[in-house]
Amino acid sequence: MKIGIPRALYFYVYYPMWYGFFSSLGHEMKLSIPTNKEIINLGVSHSVDDICISVKVFHGHVKYLLNKDVDFVFVPRIASEEKYKYTCPKLAALPDLMKSAFVSDAGRILTATFYTRQGDKPIIEAFEEIGRQLGDPEEKVKRATKEGIKYQNLATKALRSGHTFLDIVKNIKNLEELIKRPVEKKRYTVALAGFPYDVYDTFTNGDVISKLEDSGVGIVTTDMLDPKVYKHYSKYMIKDLFWYQANAAAKGGMYYIDSPDIDGIISISSFNCGISSIYQKLLDLYSKEIGKPVMHIIVDEQTGDAGLATRIEAFIDLIRVKRGDGLVSQENNLHGTENGVHVRSV
Amino acid sequence: MSRKKITYTVPRMGYTYAAFESFFKILGYDVIIPEPTNTETIKEGVSNSPEYMCFPFKILLGQFERVLEKNPDRYFKVVSLESYGPCRFGYYSPLYYKILRDKGFTNFEIVNIEGIYPPLYKGIPRFFKKLVKLTGWHAPWTVVKAFVIAGWKVYALEQLEKKLYHLIPREKVTGSTEKIFNAAVERIRHAPNKVKAIKKILNEELEKMENNPHVERDDLPKIGLVGEAYILMDYSNNLDIEKKLAYMGVDVDRSLRVTNWTLDRLIKAKSHKAHMLEVNKGYLDFFIGGDGQESIMNTILYKKAGYDGVIQAQPFGCLPETAAKEILTKVSEDYDIPVLSLAFDEQTGEAGFVTRLEAFVDMIKSRRQMKEEKKESVTVEN
Repeated sequence: MKIGIPRALYFYVYYPMWYGFFSSLGHEMKLSIPTNKEIINLGVSHSVDDICISVKVFHGHVKYLLNKDVDFVFVPRIASEEKYKYTCPKLAALPDLMKSAFVSDAGRILTATFYTRQGDKPIIEAFEEIGRQLGDPEEKVKRATKEGIKYQNLATKALRSGHTFLDIVKNIKNLEELIKRPVEKKRYTVALAGFPYDVYDTFTNGDVISKLEDSGVGIVTTDMLDPKVYKHYSKYMIKDLFWYQANAAAKGGMYYIDSPDIDGIISISSFNCGISSIYQKLLDLYSKEIGKPVMHIIVDEQTGDAGLATRIEAFIDLIRVKRGDGLVSQENNLHGTENGVHVRSV
Repeated sequence: MSRKKITYTVPRMGYTYAAFESFFKILGYDVIIPEPTNTETIKEGVSNSPEYMCFPFKILLGQFERVLEKNPDRYFKVVSLESYGPCRFGYYSPLYYKILRDKGFTNFEIVNIEGIYPPLYKGIPRFFKKLVKLTGWHAPWTVVKAFVIAGWKVYALEQLEKKLYHLIPREKVTGSTEKIFNAAVERIRHAPNKVKAIKKILNEELEKMENNPHVERDDLPKIGLVGEAYILMDYSNNLDIEKKLAYMGVDVDRSLRVTNWTLDRLIKAKSHKAHMLEVNKGYLDFFIGGDGQESIMNTILYKKAGYDGVIQAQPFGCLPETAAKEILTKVSEDYDIPVLSLAFDEQTGEAGFVTRLEAFVDMIKSRRQMKEEKKESVTVEN
């Protein structure tokens, strides 16, 4: 069977698991194309107006896949990623949203409720549910689940060793090799704090990652961190947030604010995302105490590229001045485009 | 701890502030109730909260800030009601604390009341610790008595409110019932702390309202209100939507009240959830926090009870309500009931708001007419 996987939201966290599962079952997978103008327009026209842009984009990806020749579109309900922590209400209601947005195609939406990272048992149950919907033999589903979990663990290892999730998607077939490959250390390092689906969706966030990398700045993201290292920040936050990803962004951001080899933090969130408003305020207040630059980028469907490029350049200049390197010299300050990407060497 | 004179301040919610006030007064504390939401409080709150934070948070922050600002010589316990769940409502108090401290206020502490949440072995002691922190050390019967009196006052105020919105579209002299109602609220607020006395006042006032000249009729268009609790329950946040609809000649009913909200959340939580899942089957069968599921359930229930339309009131960007809004479009189609979603934020202007309400009411009236004409033509054919 042909299964469509939308390249949005939790794709940027659990794609390796889904890849392992579906490929082991022998199903053909169709990924939607990376977000572009067409997908955003599709999403905007099929969703309510005051929902956040990430969910709008997800609508677009699902519609794109429904238009293509796939049997099912995979829309899992990620309910909880840690004990007593939940996901955003909109994400918890995602399959229901899709069913009411695409009423005529409601039968083609493949879904199950996942409680990930609470041990393997709930994951196995969720995959069993999917296996039942697809009509696969139980024995095979069990094997495939194991394969999925194995891939996810490998991907986590790759993240911990400093590779971005985009690298993982590119090298999904040889993750072990990727883990061994060392990450190049640059003179400046900027940490990106935010939900994986905001940080890695290169179209909606104006390609912050390549803009930084092309300017010679190394990046780290909050999902590279092991949750153990930032546990102690709960005390500063008084009370844990209820969303695993928001906790990761807030505490990971604070961890990077405190760590000496990070030069600055850029937090990326989507317009009208309610949860990020909380962790951004916390990062603001914390950076005020420590004194490290933090920049917030809030993206929406109208984000212009030029304004963002200017802001990032200014941020890099700020980091340089803080390090004592001075501003970028005139001859290096040439603007050019390579494949349409704005380039400026540092 | 030094025995400082402690003053309490509580979130203002509709007319129920009178009940909270008496609760703390019975325990022997001073209470200062924030002023009703106005442009000043909103301005104060908006300028200090995160940009995309929920509107209720901004309102409450503004209210508390005004209270702290006006009384610099008092020491406050700011009471914040919270829940632990997937909606942002659960993280209000840490942000209040951080933002108010950042603003330079030191004369306060925040007391948050939240339900018992897992793990239970930690949750139950934490709940009682918070309760003690809220009320201070008192004889248990004093606290119970305060609870009972506050509960009765809430109940009495709700009964009065229900009566008011029932009578407004039926009264002979426009505005006469409201006058009686306002006096009644004051009387309940200052009622002696005895259940009997509150009951007596309630009955007297209800009778007074009943005796106000009016014409009883049951052919008015009916509109149900669903949505986020705080926007829905506080008249100053929703720009008096209930009263406005009532004056337009509509029978209006609000789905969430303090009494049924507390009952459903705390005492009858299990049966309430089961009922909700049953009604919502096929639309939203998963817990998303806030009042999102309730909005969908109540819309369906209103249709079944013969209502002509539903208005969903939500703060701009509310997480559960935006999810519910998208599903409500399908509910509205399937059940053939018009649903109007209104998002409230700091920029809601009154004139545009009234126009939208009027258009909605007109639409409902003409829909009723069309239905009746259809009925008549069917009977003629037969």
